[in-house]
Amino acid sequence: MKEANSRLQALVDGLSDWGIEQFVYVPSSHAAPVIRGLEAHGVKSVMANREEEAVGIAGGLALTGKKVAIVMQDNGFGNALTALATFAQSYHIGFPIFANTRGGLGEYNAMIHSISDPSPDLLKRLGIRVENLGISDSVEVWRSSTESVAKLAVIQRRPIVTMFESLHPGMESIK
Amino acid sequence: MKRIDALKVLDEVFGNDPLVITCGATAREMASISRKKTHLPLLDSMGLTTPVGLGVALGHGGRVGVIDGDGSLLMGFSILPTLKAYAPKNLIVVVLDNGQHASADGMFSQANVVDIAGAAKGLGLWVAECDSADAMKAHIEARSSADQVSLIFVKIETGNTPNIPFYLADPAKLGADFKEALAG
Repeated sequence: MKEANSRLQALVDGLSDWGIEQFVYVPSSHAAPVIRGLEAHGVKSVMANREEEAVGIAGGLALTGKKVAIVMQDNGFGNALTALATFAQSYHIGFPIFANTRGGLGEYNAMIHSISDPSPDLLKRLGIRVENLGISDSVEVWRSSTESVAKLAVIQRRPIVTMFESLHPGMESIK
Repeated sequence: MKRIDALKVLDEVFGNDPLVITCGATAREMASISRKKTHLPLLDSMGLTTPVGLGVALGHGGRVGVIDGDGSLLMGFSILPTLKAYAPKNLIVVVLDNGQHASADGMFSQANVVDIAGAAKGLGLWVAECDSADAMKAHIEARSSADQVSLIFVKIETGNTPNIPFYLADPAKLGADFKEALAG
């Protein structure tokens, strides 16, 4: 628990290093420490009801020059694909997306892997760069990669997805 | 009122303020009468117009307009509670309601059988309804100093203006121009 949370805190710290001004999220128990951590840092948040809605809101904010990120779960990319392809990618709007992975070891949901597992390949087919942060990566790597990905998304004027591993808070004991 | 006549008024009343415009015939008709760097037509992102407008309004200090359609709003209806939750007072959403998906062979929209303006009211949003250019313009001007987000539902005629060419703009340029206009 402590180790996993130190990595999620590193993700928050990496976004703070970047200078994040606002983030849009879709509720997730796995990503909750990131969401609450950013809010504790005083970063303004918008809660979206669906992932494509989050892409629209974040894209609009990015067009105003704000440093904005999305925090969500990887099983929501099925909802977000058309918005990512026809809006963020096509209009060259750069912002980072941080998505916790589901469906792996420790998963308790029987079907979520059916969309979570293929999500990286689906995104890559759209030409969207996908980075990964795992529990075997150091805290320092989590922090520096987070900042680097956010900077790169803005420079490339494209959304970039970081898939980050985190065990469900209720399943940490199996780790 | 025909859609293109409503668009002429909207172009005039929003002036050089940011204006996010829904896809299909609406974007094409607007481009046929006015093209500005402050216009952001979404060429193929149905259902995303109002979410994008919300993002722009949250990041931009001045008035922001959205031109949505009943079909497009229904496709992303979950934005309405989000609008209420964040309620930026600088955002005015105009929904041109023709009761159909005019760009999809004129298939009927469920706005024919449900009261989408009433649904928005039920969520606690500020809502006006009208069917004339003068009333639409008056609502927009009155709400430009409002204390919360505004939704103006405008009944328009069915169908599209004939002989409007496809709008083949480069979306990357539209995005870059819009961003530059907001920064300026």
